[in-house]
Amino acid sequence: MKKTILSLALVLAAGLLFAQKKTTTSAIINFDATTSLDKLPKADNKTVIASLDTKTGKIAFEATVKSFTFSNPKIQEHFNTAGWMDSEKFPTAIFAGTITNVKDVKFNKDGVYNVTVKGDLTIHGVTKPIETTGTVTVSGGSIKTTSNFSIKLEDYAVSGGAIGAGKVSKEPTITVTAEF
Amino acid sequence: MIAIFVLLLAGGAVIWWLFTLKYEDTADVKADHTVNAMDFIKEFKQDMAAANKKYSEKIIVVNGTVSKIEMADTTANIKMIDTTNGAYIIFAFQQQHLDEAKQMKEGDKVSIKGSCSNGAFSSILETEYITFKRCAVNK
Repeated sequence: MKKTILSLALVLAAGLLFAQKKTTTSAIINFDATTSLDKLPKADNKTVIASLDTKTGKIAFEATVKSFTFSNPKIQEHFNTAGWMDSEKFPTAIFAGTITNVKDVKFNKDGVYNVTVKGDLTIHGVTKPIETTGTVTVSGGSIKTTSNFSIKLEDYAVSGGAIGAGKVSKEPTITVTAEF
Repeated sequence: MIAIFVLLLAGGAVIWWLFTLKYEDTADVKADHTVNAMDFIKEFKQDMAAANKKYSEKIIVVNGTVSKIEMADTTANIKMIDTTNGAYIIFAFQQQHLDEAKQMKEGDKVSIKGSCSNGAFSSILETEYITFKRCAVNK
């Protein structure tokens, strides 16, 4: 009897533990490097993997670089070349971090919660710490996280003539949305 | 003088052409390969590098069963999942074909054409996955 109760308790605990980690394979990252000279360097990646641990606040993203979709085939091609993101060598962009004020977010109560996220962003084989703000929206059982920030391409060893010519922003904006 | 003018005009035309290039509708593009979804996943699991070399940035028709539909405000992604190990293929549809994806149901046998981006191993999900972009129903 005791063994049965213990087993049931362990199964329940495992189930609860499992439920706190949420994942999605359809998070969206928008990359906007447009300038006044060129409105084309802008892309969406709609098949980003994301995870969120509602207890610890750990949050992570994995984005296949070749899945950033530009409207112009030439820009798509350039984006992936060795002189830019070099997606053959560095196929995935990764973020691993934590919502530092996760205790302020009530995941079981509908609302919009402002959060701070700190973590490591790896692009083009270079890892840099970043800190940004975002929102967590809880609504009808779903959790939506959104964040908007800029990066410096030179910090990630991404450079090229188009940046120098003002046709690609030196500090593109990145918008991340994930619905769990 | 005229030669220089003609060269400048030609150069301008090329730049204009490059600037206004757009992707064709995937529905109208000839496929490089036609595959069965589970065999395709198996190929990536067995040798990721070789499969990426063969399929990355190619137009592929994938025949399989809809395992999951993931919809957000502006997206409708279709997934075909190998239920024995969780490995999956995910298809992001072209804007003009979003409704085709939204009309699919889990369990539907479908044929989807798209540009294969890449296969990779996800540390988050601890499984292989292959992403597609600019997808459309293959007719």
